Amino acid sequence: MWRAVKKYARLFREFIRTCIVEEMEYRAHFVSNVFMSMLLLALSVLTVQLYFYRAPSIGNWTFDQVMILLGVFQALQGCIDFYLQPNMNRLVQHIRKGTLDYILTKPVDSMFFCSFRHLVLWRLVDVAGGFALVGYGLWHGSIPVTVWQWFLFVLLFLTAVAILYALWMAMMMFSFWAVKVDNLSYLFQSLFETARVPMSVYRGIVLVVLMPMACLTTFPAAALVNKLHSQDVLIMLGLAVGMLVSARWLWNYALRHYTSASS
Amino acid sequence: MIDVKDLTKHYKVHVRESGLRAALKSLVNRKFRDVRAVDGISFQIAEGEMVGFLGPNGAGKTTTMKLLTGLLHPTSGELRVGGFVPFKQSNEFKRNISLVMGQKSQLIWDLPASETFEVHRAIYEIDDRSFKKQRDGLVELLQLQAVIDKPVRQLSLGERMKCELAASLLHQPKLVFLDEPTIGLDVHMQEAVRQFIQAYNQEFKATILLTSHYMTDVSALCERVMVINRGHLLYDGKISELISRFAPNKRLTLQFAPGSAEMQADDGPWSTWGDVRVVRVEGLVVELEVSREAMSDVVQRVLSQLPIQDFTVEDPSLEDVIGQAFNVETSKREDDFHFNGHGADDGDDW
Repeated sequence: MWRAVKKYARLFREFIRTCIVEEMEYRAHFVSNVFMSMLLLALSVLTVQLYFYRAPSIGNWTFDQVMILLGVFQALQGCIDFYLQPNMNRLVQHIRKGTLDYILTKPVDSMFFCSFRHLVLWRLVDVAGGFALVGYGLWHGSIPVTVWQWFLFVLLFLTAVAILYALWMAMMMFSFWAVKVDNLSYLFQSLFETARVPMSVYRGIVLVVLMPMACLTTFPAAALVNKLHSQDVLIMLGLAVGMLVSARWLWNYALRHYTSASS
Repeated sequence: MIDVKDLTKHYKVHVRESGLRAALKSLVNRKFRDVRAVDGISFQIAEGEMVGFLGPNGAGKTTTMKLLTGLLHPTSGELRVGGFVPFKQSNEFKRNISLVMGQKSQLIWDLPASETFEVHRAIYEIDDRSFKKQRDGLVELLQLQAVIDKPVRQLSLGERMKCELAASLLHQPKLVFLDEPTIGLDVHMQEAVRQFIQAYNQEFKATILLTSHYMTDVSALCERVMVINRGHLLYDGKISELISRFAPNKRLTLQFAPGSAEMQADDGPWSTWGDVRVVRVEGLVVELEVSREAMSDVVQRVLSQLPIQDFTVEDPSLEDVIGQAFNVETSKREDDFHFNGHGADDGDDW
């Protein structure tokens, strides 16, 4: 067990190293992208500010609380762009071109390899920006946070990352059968966009549909602003475990039915 | 090393006719049919052997290769490779094999090949000493000194292929699968790659399985060949025997001296010589097919009776032999022709 952990830690370091070397090839790309994500963050803050000119709250959340939520959203978005988006699109490529064969004949867990081989490191700037926004919200609204709340926040944030991963993975696995599913990631992206606002905004059937997405941002933020119910934590944890297990199962199932592209 | 018994692999492929209407129809109502890509193949391969797979496109070569590497689950049959069941995909098994596909690259495109080597070192958990030794050995053998530190995108196809080979052999696999390793390379590079494969086989006693479109690859490297067509194993044995079995005749080409009368196919003097068949007549060049036994006799007559300027005696090319073998064998097998449609499927390689 310990050996396996060491092996995968070493492999992960190697992936990071190659990604840094690869990134060096395109420096201008790096600078323009960081600038771009800063701009987008500022824009989303502005949108919220505009809204609050006319209303005192969104779904019972004050301006500062929404800022925290937006920060969580931004950080999660950063995680998606850091490792989900780049790897999943490549998985589709691997399947279409048959280069998945190379990965499958290597003595590594293929799901691990396909999930972490490509990392877009500068996207961690978005994650940092998101957390900075959380910090700003807490400071601006002078919201007190206990150690226990911090703990819940970290726990729920990691759970959200896990759920996102499982969801995205499950979706991309359709490409084993449908082969070309690039568009699904746009669908996923627009669904995730709905998590910009607190869950309490949504009602009825819309709530049911968007519920999984909305709780990804609402619950971690709620932990900090004291709006969290204890059952929420259980829902999140249960959801994460269940979805990770199903994603793993689906991966193995897909591999058994993999037909490989012709050469 | 490899033990295969009654191996079969059936695919469901989706069929549709060409045209927009058919495309729309197939969106709603997909029709599938079974393709028996591999249909009851049995063979054994010993350690250290170099075996060539031959067969036309869509014959089942690649499918067999993918079954052996564990990429595909067999529909039925027994399959053991180095004591392992490939499709269980245990890491132990994968550490002992390597797959190289001439048409697909695994090198990191924007980086020098040496970076890919590093990734492979982590994947295969190669310790520093044996990594350095093996890498230097391969670089030497393939003469990659000037190449491994250039970004892969700047390499020629041949250089890239050599790097692919080096990257896949860093962990010293006991069993190497080469799927068309020389495709697209110029003659010089093909020869270099061939020599390397030969040297690698001798130095590391590795078992090597090879498919290729270039018959020269197979005839230069492998003593043993397997001919596969439509999922059936048609021949398994020595190349030399394959030739004498399916091509008992040699080719005799005659070049007549300028000024001599043009030859006619049926009334040439050879029509009375017995075991001789005319292949083609083109102006002053005549190609004859002569059985091996009759050859020396025929050559004597040619030299004494005909005004020739030059002549050559050749074995028919392996391509011709294989082609002939297929015609012979497939016509016998017409009854269990499994592609339910028409033969259009020969175009895609499984």
